[in-house]
Amino acid sequence: MIVVRRKPIDEILKMVGRHTRVMLVGCNTCAAVSLAGGQKEVDTLIELLSLAASRKGFSVEFSDAILERQCEPEFIEKLDSQGYDAILSLGCGAGVATLAGDNDKPVYPALDTLFIGSAQGFASWQAECSACGSCVLGETCGICPTTRCAKGILNGPCGGVKDGTCELGDRPCAWVEIYDRLESLGRIDDFGKTMPAKDNSISARCCEWDMTKEGDDS
Amino acid sequence: MSNIPPHKASEADKDRVFAPCRARCPVHIDVPGYLSAVAEGRFTDALEIVMQRNPLPSVCGRVCLRPCEEGCRRCNLDEPVAIAALKRAAADHGAYPLPRPMGTRPERVAIIGSGPTGLTAAHDLAQLGMKVTLFEEKPKLGGMLRYGIPNYRLPDDALDRDIGHIVSLGVETITGVRVGRDLNLDELAQTFDAVLIAAGLQGSRSVPIDGAHLPQVMTALDFLERSASGEKLDLGERVVVVGGGNVAMDVARTAIRQHAQSVDVICLESRDEMPASEHEIEDATLEGANVHCSWGPHAVIGDENVCALDTVRCTSIFDSEKRFAPEFDESELRRFEADTIILAIGQSADVGDLGINLTHRGSPIVDPVTLRTSHEGIYAAGDVVTGPTRIIDAIAHGHRAAAAIFGALVDDWSLLRELDLENTVLGEIPPHMSEMLETRRRIQMETVPFYEAIKNWGEIEEGYTEYEAAREAQRCLGCTTGARLAQEKCASCLSCMRVCPHGAPGVHVGGYMYFDMEACHACGTCASACPGSAISIEGCSPDEMVLRVQRALASPTIDQTIAFVCGHTRNALETLDPNARIVTVSCLLRVDESTVLQAFRSGAGRVAFSECDTGTCRFPHALKLVAQRERSIVSALTQIGMGDSFRIVGPASDEEAPS
Repeated sequence: MIVVRRKPIDEILKMVGRHTRVMLVGCNTCAAVSLAGGQKEVDTLIELLSLAASRKGFSVEFSDAILERQCEPEFIEKLDSQGYDAILSLGCGAGVATLAGDNDKPVYPALDTLFIGSAQGFASWQAECSACGSCVLGETCGICPTTRCAKGILNGPCGGVKDGTCELGDRPCAWVEIYDRLESLGRIDDFGKTMPAKDNSISARCCEWDMTKEGDDS
Repeated sequence: MSNIPPHKASEADKDRVFAPCRARCPVHIDVPGYLSAVAEGRFTDALEIVMQRNPLPSVCGRVCLRPCEEGCRRCNLDEPVAIAALKRAAADHGAYPLPRPMGTRPERVAIIGSGPTGLTAAHDLAQLGMKVTLFEEKPKLGGMLRYGIPNYRLPDDALDRDIGHIVSLGVETITGVRVGRDLNLDELAQTFDAVLIAAGLQGSRSVPIDGAHLPQVMTALDFLERSASGEKLDLGERVVVVGGGNVAMDVARTAIRQHAQSVDVICLESRDEMPASEHEIEDATLEGANVHCSWGPHAVIGDENVCALDTVRCTSIFDSEKRFAPEFDESELRRFEADTIILAIGQSADVGDLGINLTHRGSPIVDPVTLRTSHEGIYAAGDVVTGPTRIIDAIAHGHRAAAAIFGALVDDWSLLRELDLENTVLGEIPPHMSEMLETRRRIQMETVPFYEAIKNWGEIEEGYTEYEAAREAQRCLGCTTGARLAQEKCASCLSCMRVCPHGAPGVHVGGYMYFDMEACHACGTCASACPGSAISIEGCSPDEMVLRVQRALASPTIDQTIAFVCGHTRNALETLDPNARIVTVSCLLRVDESTVLQAFRSGAGRVAFSECDTGTCRFPHALKLVAQRERSIVSALTQIGMGDSFRIVGPASDEEAPS
């Protein structure tokens, strides 16, 4: 799931404060599940923006809509934004982009897209994947060094690890975790096998994936 | 596919899943609904909920025999919630709704008798817009409620509040007129589109024994009516009451207040067989009545004045087929000295002068569904048809009569059909949940001590204060008022599953969420965590919360603080600004960010959260989430320069906390 987080109100207000009628569009998939883009967050943001706008002397009217998934043109078709002069998207980056591409009015992001992650309980997520385009999770027992290691190194750990914690101090060392999991699976012999450098050009070049195009269906 | 959990009731079906209290109530009052309103101090809302199904809340709050409480799911945990007393609290502290009949209709209906059945039918038909005329033989309305139940249990002013609301719907009342004697039923039937006979049981049963004709032998109804009318009766020193039911207990206690020096109650039944409620027997005994079981009246001794009642030992009451067939041992005699003997051995219908077909017991013969008698346009309902029942049964029959009359006159039978809709009853508390629930004893109501009570006719039970009522209502487990899911809004995020400590939410293969109503006890944690606003809890939807904030802000105080107060801590109010406008909630988790922000937009200058004492917290699992909510509100308000406008008031000191 794509994990998102609401931007600071000032930043949002700078974008939408110049408009008079703004439609807030929530997304009932990843953004809702990461508790930032569902109906409740749309309602809260409308209240917050209205309050903030009136304190700054702006005269902006806000209303709400929810799409099942903002990243799908077919869902967007159902959105009736007539009479609004801007759209504030509570979707991930893909949602904002899709909405913007399908619209003749400015579309602004209310959220920052953080990572592809997994739920750790209520209102808590762990980054798991950076969409690099060349997955090594098979070698690392499901722990992504590109995502979870602060340096993103493929042959760790580095010298900064102390008592299993990254030198940044905010996370466990991904490579210590990889070691522990390899050991628990009886694969400790795989540890230390040097991984070749990743081809970073894959994610850089992969701006589109279209199976219907000839040559892209492999 | 074997891992698919069994399908629970669909959301639509859930409207007919009743909590046991509601299912056992013959009129199906939304008990959990009004208890949750009382728990939040919303007495007017609670009264409105009660009155949707029961037009006599003040009466039933005092003298209902409370079948609801026998079903309370707390019975297996500690003791049932004081449902009836909380109905009284709603009537005592709430405002009766303004009379708002649904338009006006041309049909005219006459109702004979203003007891619970007649009053209920009058209420319903007037509410539906019909022109209702209520005929009552006695000088005042109320029937047995006024003339059969002593004032110390049901004071006139309490009864008058209920009757006042019914009459305010536009019901015409004619008192002091007995149909059959002063007015002809046929004439009535020609003047009105329908006539309902709801005359109750006005005849008293007697016993065929020597001396029963003497003037000092009275019937219970006559005695109670004269006492209720304020008559001071000269009973002499010694009173013997014959009968073992609640009426006999009322008679005994009334005789004590009529200054009888000794009151002996004799009954055929053994102590265990007595039909009177246990607490009625205890109260009568406490006030000085002597109950003598297993004695049958044999002869009244006396020439012009009664001087004693001779009784014989009753050895059994019912035969092998459980029919009433008392057996006596005439060798064992006992004489009870008496100046007055009062017979409280049952009532019968007394409608022989109406000229309709009657059963051998003297009751009108009616169609069991439509309650129509042998005459077109004439209906009968209540005890006159069914024989003696509880007040709440008589009210239910009044609803049926009104629905049947409406059906026949308007050719719309939907109301009658609705009465016969089937319900499913919520099961017992699952074992895993009962282990998690805290036991809490019922809050005892203040009563006048018996030695003071017998000196006058004042009401014995003083009723709950607003605070006591709220605390008692908070014992309700909120059965069936919990999570309702709007599937189309659900993002299957699983937040509800993650925050519910009772395992009520679950997920089917395919990601479809469901809720187990038996495990849910309406804490509202899931609704507060749901990002899609897909889960609702009865009584605290976002719209309702906004309305409550706006109502609170409209009240005339100088201060602009809106304080959301957890109802589980009494003294929270005292630690706040005394002018703060209070919105009491069952849990602060029910106040979400947008409700707080809307309060500012509605004109509040400040908002405060008054937290509960962890010792009295009803939903401890919510504490962490409330703290998270508070951080989120502070963060949002700080971002727009309003951080100082939100205040968190901590729990009260131990000294002030209720024990």
